[in-house]
Amino acid sequence: MAITLNEIDAAEAWQPWQPRSNDPWNRKWAAHLYRRAAFGASREDLLEAERLGSQGTLDLLLRGMPQAEELEETLVDIGRIAAERDDSGDQLRGWWLYCMLQGGHPLREKLTLFWHNHFATSLAKVQSPALMFRQNCLLRKHALGRFGPLLQAISRDGAMLLWLDSNSNVRGKPNENYARELMELFSLGVGHYTEKDVREAARAFTGWRSDGASFTFDPRFHDDGSKTVLGQTGPWNGGDVVRIVLEQPAVARFLVRKLYRFLVSETPVPPDSLLEPLCQSFRKSEYDTAALVRTILASRHFYSKHAFRQRVKGPVEYVLGAVQAVYRRYGEEEVHYRPLPPLALANRLSGMGQSLFAPPNVKGWPGGQAWLNTSTLLERDNFAAALAMGTLWASPAIEASAAVGVASLTPAQGLGTAHSVLSIRKSSRPAALADAPEEPAPPRAFDPARIFEEGGGGVGRPAPQASARPTPSAEDIVQALLDLYLPGGIRTELRAKLVAFVDEDKPAGPALARRVREAVHAIVTMAEYHLA
Amino acid sequence: MFNRRQFLTHTLKGSSLVALSAMVPQFVSRTAQAAAPGKDNILVVLEMSGGNDGINTVIPYADDLYHKARPTLRQTKDIVIRLDDHVGLHSGMQGLRPLWQQGQLAVVQGVGYPNPQRSHFEAMDIWQSADTKGRTTTGWLGRAAAESDNHLGGVPILHIGLSRLPLALTGAPGGGAVTVNSANSFRLELGGGKAGQQKARRRLLEDLAMPAGSGTPRRTQAGPEDLLSFVQRRQVQTLTAVEQLRELLEGPNAVPRQGSGLGQKLQLIAGLIAKGFGTRIFYVNLDGFDTHSNQAYMHNNLLAELADAVGGFFQTLKTTGHDRRVRLMTFSEFGRRVYENGSRGTDHGAASCLFIAGPSIKGGVVGKHPSLSDLDADDLKFHTDFRSIYATQLDGWLGCDSKAVLGAKWDHVKALEPKT
Repeated sequence: MAITLNEIDAAEAWQPWQPRSNDPWNRKWAAHLYRRAAFGASREDLLEAERLGSQGTLDLLLRGMPQAEELEETLVDIGRIAAERDDSGDQLRGWWLYCMLQGGHPLREKLTLFWHNHFATSLAKVQSPALMFRQNCLLRKHALGRFGPLLQAISRDGAMLLWLDSNSNVRGKPNENYARELMELFSLGVGHYTEKDVREAARAFTGWRSDGASFTFDPRFHDDGSKTVLGQTGPWNGGDVVRIVLEQPAVARFLVRKLYRFLVSETPVPPDSLLEPLCQSFRKSEYDTAALVRTILASRHFYSKHAFRQRVKGPVEYVLGAVQAVYRRYGEEEVHYRPLPPLALANRLSGMGQSLFAPPNVKGWPGGQAWLNTSTLLERDNFAAALAMGTLWASPAIEASAAVGVASLTPAQGLGTAHSVLSIRKSSRPAALADAPEEPAPPRAFDPARIFEEGGGGVGRPAPQASARPTPSAEDIVQALLDLYLPGGIRTELRAKLVAFVDEDKPAGPALARRVREAVHAIVTMAEYHLA
Repeated sequence: MFNRRQFLTHTLKGSSLVALSAMVPQFVSRTAQAAAPGKDNILVVLEMSGGNDGINTVIPYADDLYHKARPTLRQTKDIVIRLDDHVGLHSGMQGLRPLWQQGQLAVVQGVGYPNPQRSHFEAMDIWQSADTKGRTTTGWLGRAAAESDNHLGGVPILHIGLSRLPLALTGAPGGGAVTVNSANSFRLELGGGKAGQQKARRRLLEDLAMPAGSGTPRRTQAGPEDLLSFVQRRQVQTLTAVEQLRELLEGPNAVPRQGSGLGQKLQLIAGLIAKGFGTRIFYVNLDGFDTHSNQAYMHNNLLAELADAVGGFFQTLKTTGHDRRVRLMTFSEFGRRVYENGSRGTDHGAASCLFIAGPSIKGGVVGKHPSLSDLDADDLKFHTDFRSIYATQLDGWLGCDSKAVLGAKWDHVKALEPKT
């Protein structure tokens, strides 16, 4: 019987992992690290990681690419413009996805996403992409910083003040919304405060307002009487409440547990004893997030079966991971570089249940198994098809005409926006399978079959030169695809199914390229692929 | 010949989906056949997410304390839809008037449970699991579907929405509850090319989703299901559901789907019922009831959307002749504080009201409005435990043993027993 979490020696578990001859640093672990610390990896990322080793790769991820800092300023400028010129938030969503893919600091973006989910604020109520953008910048600034300053800053954030009604929390008639969520969801968790604490804390936050953009304090609305919050009595204001909250031992336990779920495993629930060493060092470091993240991502426990494929990828992780395996970022292959149309991705993400800047409620996306129901999984399956076959990247007009064969389009349905293209898929065609024209081959930069035409060939193995191109065997093709999409392997009988599929009728040339795309579609729907 | 339950069990055991696909259309058409009398009652559950302000939904307009507690939010007796000498519906709910007048709307007051939770998420879990201790990981409707032997159709519960599968629906038998997003396609994209190749691609997807050891008749019980088999089973369920639902949701004779509003979701359900779709439990939600500030406008819109949607739903059902076997029940995780706050809104409260609609129900106001002066931490006290209402629906309407579903015997709410 395998060792359960209860039997693990907690002190051992968080020691740095050392590669051994029977468990070396390899592509499997590099991809594992990239799935957790970033949004998946490109082939180049994996090759570089194998070269750098586990420590070197983690250092790189924590530091970001050399150009990341410089890039951030530019990205922020672009984001400000994106936020200003749209009401729906789609520009902003596209912009953030661009930052995740091309910002040079995916771990920082990953933690920004963690904090977005933690301090879940939605455009649906805030109604201002500009305020959501500013909150996003705040989360990015503190993403790998200390939790105390972050909690103080978010309590004064313009979007948050609107989201949880601080703006109208007034003396004599306090509005409890922020005070309650501060304790329940942002710092302590249910069971570590009382209803009385909520009511008293709400009084302390009276007079904290937003002038529409930034934080202001209006003493006319502030209740300066004495309050008792979590056992401490005084004429507290909001900042005092945040300070008192931060002194509670529950804070470290709450955050460590949540980060464990985000970085290590969603099931089973870890015992307190396993997390205790992390909680202690997190407190000692004054809630230094970067240090905690480093300890976790460098640990023996992280490089074990207790973590490997023990999370369900969220939609952003799923989509960007698949895109990175197929797509080339700028600079990696400039000849074939094509700018990524992030709006198409944002639409797909919404169908999968993760519309950025619009979490379902203040608790954020529940995550884990809740990501997958028959509707969201079908969206993932269909995304996989569109990505692999290249239709995802077609401009609306091209996508629509490509869809004609698939979905008998009526002209009245309109092609104006990516959204209307999605609704075109609601076809009036009989649902049974029928012959249809093949999609045109996608542009090279978006073509998963491209790897078999390149000098580098399959992943890390020599492939035939383009000039003398003997057709690679179905075995080789499947192996190369699995090395890229699912390092760490799959059951042999599933592998055999893929090989048989690729080998059927022995396709060659364009037919083979198409078959490869079809195989990629199938791989990206596999249960193993949905796990991080 | 399989019956439906065996069919599902079979599917789950992982026998090849390929063999299955051939059977499915025939299987769906069988669901169109009339079920045994009394065995085909349908329950639609409508979640009002965010904590609906019950006091401004079923309004104690005759109580001075109400007007004192709600200086800006109050509705007077001339504005409300009067139900009796004491309470009336919020004026936004005109859409429910016909149901009320026909005696098909039960308005249940003072619903709650001991030691109420004021966290949205804890409270929602309590209502959905029907466990106030928070130990149960399955939902009351999922367990009800498992208990009721006469659920027809391959889909035990249908959830229409964009959100995650609600806790209430987990634990359903077979592949589990199916979610359909009312606005998007429910079609598996297999691209262009020859039909044979599309078929090969679908088959590959099915093969790759098969859990390990699915060739063997019985999987060894190895404790809780691991994550990989969960995803594999969900994928099998998805591919199966696409097959099961494709005649109803795609193709020339499909039930039209227009959008994601509550009215459109309920019309989709009405359309599926009219097509003879055998599912007996449906679930939808309407979000936005967490009205901490400037409540009046938002709350009015939500209540109007709800009332119009429910009114229109039963109108359609009446036209198609299915209204008598359909009942709709609302709930929300909690009510709101008696006294409004300083933001013309209300904070989290406790006991509240709910609605049960349909020709099968005895219309009327059920239970007294809780006192506005005898409060528990500024909140209304409950007098009717929500599990009594669940038990009444389970035994009396869905025909499944409430004790097995709820883990204890709860007294029925007499006024909510089906008309005899």
